[in-house]
Amino acid sequence: MLPVERIIGEEGLTASSGGLRLAMRLPWYRSLPFSTVEVGALAIDGNPVDLSDAAIAFDGEQWPLAANGEQTNTFWFVRDSAFLVVPGHDLAPGSEHSVELTLYVSPPYIPGMRRFNTQTQSLSVN
Amino acid sequence: MTIASGPQVGVTLYSFTNEWLLRQFDLPGLLHEVARRGMGPNIEIIGFQSFKEFPDVSDDFAAKFKDMVAEAGLNPVSCAINSDRFLKPGQQPIDDADLVEYHKRQLRSAKKMGFSLVRYQFALPVHLLPEIAPYAEELEIRMGVEVHAPMWAGHPAVQAYGEMYDKLNTPVLGWIPDFGGTASRIPESMLDAARRAGAAESLLDKLKEVWCEDGMSHEKAGRLREWALANGHAPAHIQAASLAFFILSNHDPRSWAALVDRTIHIHGKFYGVSEDLVEEAIDYETILPLFRDGGFTGTLVSEWEGHAYDARDAFLQVERHQAMCRRIFAT
Repeated sequence: MLPVERIIGEEGLTASSGGLRLAMRLPWYRSLPFSTVEVGALAIDGNPVDLSDAAIAFDGEQWPLAANGEQTNTFWFVRDSAFLVVPGHDLAPGSEHSVELTLYVSPPYIPGMRRFNTQTQSLSVN
Repeated sequence: MTIASGPQVGVTLYSFTNEWLLRQFDLPGLLHEVARRGMGPNIEIIGFQSFKEFPDVSDDFAAKFKDMVAEAGLNPVSCAINSDRFLKPGQQPIDDADLVEYHKRQLRSAKKMGFSLVRYQFALPVHLLPEIAPYAEELEIRMGVEVHAPMWAGHPAVQAYGEMYDKLNTPVLGWIPDFGGTASRIPESMLDAARRAGAAESLLDKLKEVWCEDGMSHEKAGRLREWALANGHAPAHIQAASLAFFILSNHDPRSWAALVDRTIHIHGKFYGVSEDLVEEAIDYETILPLFRDGGFTGTLVSEWEGHAYDARDAFLQVERHQAMCRRIFAT
């Protein structure tokens, strides 16, 4: 896997107050407005995760995933992880899980281009 | 001030995208590495790649950046800015006024950090140039639109920009050729990467055929996709093969001659330079003399784009590329 294809971030999967927090990396060479990135799907141990109440956290701010398309002036710095926050999941710290994530990126200066990246990785819950 | 006597050879930090994404270097570390290897002093940086505060860089960070480059002994020539017009995928582009302001924010940041020019993009509609050029004049910063594949000197968008440049007649506007628009072939290293991703030889044969056909890149990509899906190729393999349409096109290398006069900076795009200093896809022996003999005295930055599909040592590639360019410029 090339660095530009990595979408599961180095900080991995963390259990936090009744939910989970997954680090994500932007699969592009430069920072992009969050509005141009879509979280396509998340599955844990092969089970699709409902993302209706999920949120994105980045650099001290957090917003509902459903409103991510409106974040035209919040930039995902390409060297940093953003976090997908999903409530209602109890994962024991130290337990191992297979995590499958799909992201779509539509670079805002290339009309019509929409790329997808999928990555599956076994992660130990922090 | 140094008086340039001929084309200068520098580097864009974009060449080190893999190392940057892997967090092998922070910004001061990367600048020092570039300086230590003698790849400067002239450099280009993509604002949205290397500066977290972009597009609105604070005075504090700008001062820190100036200290960083001074300490490394580098000269920040070009800041690549972006014409992000399609902020909501699948919806209408943003309003003209917002797009103009988006450019002004980036121009202010680039100027504040000490860059002497910016790279901008054709996604900026030509009719907005009369609004932006006076702002660049006021800031005393030049703007070069990147003539990047699928664009080339004969493309209608380039012609329209040329007409507007004639009309505005200002020294702040110019061209930044990117040689990917005049590739002689798809780099073998790129085809190898698609093979490693699982693409079948039949798909790559079709890619090579469609890539040489007439038409816009996205149309050709669509043509390949349609054929490939009908012939049972997987979407991931099609995506790997289609990269070539978006970063390379096969126009005449000699066509750059038409743009030499207004060229203010050059992206020395390349994919792989061999030990005997030959680039695998772009005909530098034909292209560089056009600029050398045409009186170009700006900077050509080595821009290795193999990182889009390959994990080779970017520093080695840039060293070879710079040696190749210096040799041709000195001939």
